[in-house]
Amino acid sequence: MPVCSFFLQGRCRYGDKCWNEHPRGGTRGGGYNDNRSSGQQQSRGGGGGFGNRVWVNPSQQKGAYIQPSSFSSHGSDDWGRGGGGSDWGRGGGGGRRDNLKSSEFSFSSQNKFSALGTSNTFDRGGRGGGSGGVSAGDEDDDKKLEIIQMDMDIWESSGQWGFSCYSSFKTPLSGFTDLSPEELRLEYYSTRASGDLQGYLNGVNQLLSQWKNRVQELKIMNPATRAALLAELNGAAPQASSVSFGSTTGSGFGSSMSSFGNKDFGAPAQARSFSFASSPGFGSSAAPSSSSSGFGNTLAAPTQPPSGFGGSSAPSSTSAASSFSFAAASTDKPAAASGFGSASGFSFSSTANAGGGFGATAGSSSAFGQTSGGFGATPAAAAGAGSAAEASDGLFSPESKLTQDELNQFKAKRFTLGQIPLKPPPANMLMV
Amino acid sequence: LSSVRQRFGLFGIRATVCWLQLTLFGTSSGFGTGGTGVFGSTTTDSHNPMKDVEVTSPPDDSISCLAFSPPTMPGNFLIGGSWANDVRCWEVQDNGQTVPKAQQMHTGPVLDACWSDDGSKVFTASCDKTAKMWDLNSNQAMQIAQHDGPIKAIHWIKAPNYSCIMTGSWDKTLKFWDTRSPNPMMSLQMPERCYCADVVYPMAVVATAERGLIVYQLENQPSEFRRIDSPLKHQHRCVAIFKDKQNKPTGFALGSIEGRVAIHYINPPNPAKDNFTFKCHRSNGTNTTTPQDIYAVNAISFHPVHGTLATVGSDGRFSFWDKDARTKLKTSEQLDQPITACCFNHNGNIFAYASSYDWSKGHEYYNPQKKNYIFLRNAAEELKPRNKKW
Repeated sequence: MPVCSFFLQGRCRYGDKCWNEHPRGGTRGGGYNDNRSSGQQQSRGGGGGFGNRVWVNPSQQKGAYIQPSSFSSHGSDDWGRGGGGSDWGRGGGGGRRDNLKSSEFSFSSQNKFSALGTSNTFDRGGRGGGSGGVSAGDEDDDKKLEIIQMDMDIWESSGQWGFSCYSSFKTPLSGFTDLSPEELRLEYYSTRASGDLQGYLNGVNQLLSQWKNRVQELKIMNPATRAALLAELNGAAPQASSVSFGSTTGSGFGSSMSSFGNKDFGAPAQARSFSFASSPGFGSSAAPSSSSSGFGNTLAAPTQPPSGFGGSSAPSSTSAASSFSFAAASTDKPAAASGFGSASGFSFSSTANAGGGFGATAGSSSAFGQTSGGFGATPAAAAGAGSAAEASDGLFSPESKLTQDELNQFKAKRFTLGQIPLKPPPANMLMV
Repeated sequence: LSSVRQRFGLFGIRATVCWLQLTLFGTSSGFGTGGTGVFGSTTTDSHNPMKDVEVTSPPDDSISCLAFSPPTMPGNFLIGGSWANDVRCWEVQDNGQTVPKAQQMHTGPVLDACWSDDGSKVFTASCDKTAKMWDLNSNQAMQIAQHDGPIKAIHWIKAPNYSCIMTGSWDKTLKFWDTRSPNPMMSLQMPERCYCADVVYPMAVVATAERGLIVYQLENQPSEFRRIDSPLKHQHRCVAIFKDKQNKPTGFALGSIEGRVAIHYINPPNPAKDNFTFKCHRSNGTNTTTPQDIYAVNAISFHPVHGTLATVGSDGRFSFWDKDARTKLKTSEQLDQPITACCFNHNGNIFAYASSYDWSKGHEYYNPQKKNYIFLRNAAEELKPRNKKW
């Protein structure tokens, strides 16, 4: 068969139905979960937002047709790429076509993809039949993470709805909460009726800063986040005992969010409906920055999650007039602040959640003490203790409940690593 | 008023129409001039750049759903539910005039509405956790369903051996109701909150939070058929079932907040080849240097005759697509507000879309004073499928 010149240009209108040959066999954009397809030669042409079309080793297929082996995991890698300009899937990676034109679906453009210069690293041909080459494993992981990073970049800059779950390679990533615009709007209408809009605003800003921090975390991909992500992607549940910051907060966030979701969305009880009604400490945190300064500059109060984190991570989160924008470039300082923001200590509703929130907080505070293995290894225990102690006290502990050592720690300018109290400070020690 | 209604009925004499407008839509600001054309100056008006017919007396708050009457009824009647807690009904005449007919109220925003198959009843679902059955002839509404959370989706199921209402709620249950009984006929647990659903007998699809996707089969009695791994990476927003050439439901289109729609067949001969996704409702297509703006797909509707589909998005545009030829047929100009809902009438001649704020940018962009619109467009020509070349 003659080679289709339109296909080579990426413009063939007939796609697979074309009577001319569409030369294939290029290498494919990676990030593809190797368990799904064995020994495949995948062309990058399957990408470009097309999703679901994977090119497998032609020798395995009948006829000259490329039969993709599975559909659902495929699309992920291409979505992170800037390529795929045409509206419909397999458009070339070379650039975006004008969305407003009636554009025809085009199957081709592996050439464009190879022009991206990524073909070598995406080559999966080296994989054994189904077992997956161990040597290529790291490369795949790298590709996957790269894709996640690009997705985060796009997500941040595109202005799309941020309160959405996100998944890569069929694995939902922790740290993202699914909230539809209607739910948020209903919340607004309800709180407007009851007059407590400030609670709503605080809640929204909390969620927003959480999201921003999580996106930043994934974008920057420090080794800790990377390890946690890979663990998630490869099926392991996020390790609570890991020292890495990313996984701890991820799991804390994920679990508290899921419990939040379960309680608040499913329950008919008024107190547990999805609401931004603030718990006392949360609502009253007027000047979080000052309270955090009271505890020294390296560690803002880990036990006062809503206020301290709000202050250090995103100045906008405390002001009512802060703009609700998913597209704004994040002003959060990624390294230090992100820890606070995503520690998910916030609690929308009553103290029913406060225990969970503090549980997660205690986990993150131990992450800060990460140089001492003792803390890192015992977030679970700390969480249990923390929540048990705090559930009844709200955000602060009465001085009587704190040991002298703990009080000293709170009084000191900085925490001593290894001796950071797990209980929240007494209210009167905060410089508000 | 009630005496007049008894005499004339609601869908009878047009002479009472103007009067009905005044009383039934008493709270709305303008009762319209008969709904012929576009309000105000039309030169640089970005609220209706497509110069489509405006529906008179639109709701006072964002429109959450639109539905046209089934073919069993003569004429075209449009119902629209809104965040102002009301559901309104208009008659759409053949000359394009729209006539407000009636409205009903809930105690919370209305999220979804549908017609019964004979066109005599309208079912409405609301954030007040109830669903109501609205008898249009008597203009009475009664509650037929109760959930523990807001009801997001409501559909009428007409099976050979049963008929019922299906409601999907944020309380993570899917319930089926015989309208005569206060208890559900069946209640199915879902993994997460229901975000959208569609029913074409014998298939029902529900998309939930956390990218859940469940297909139900409705023969004999509803049961879960398959849970599907979502082809999309982000939050599900809307779903619509499409049919094959034999008029049987064969798959669905799923839209997400990330400007992307997935076309998914239930039992395709070649899943990886037949299923695909496409990007839509994004800005600056050609320019790759600046980041794209990505908008949510708010609703998807399939043309009842041609099988082509329409998508509407937060960017304030609607687009028509041919999924078999995998091409875009048309994209509209950009409206000044997001488009929140759309639907076709029973023969596919009319495409209705609603222009109102969808909360995609949070509360700060919410302007309660801004007028909401419903536009009607002639859809007979623009949605013809692209001819296949072979």
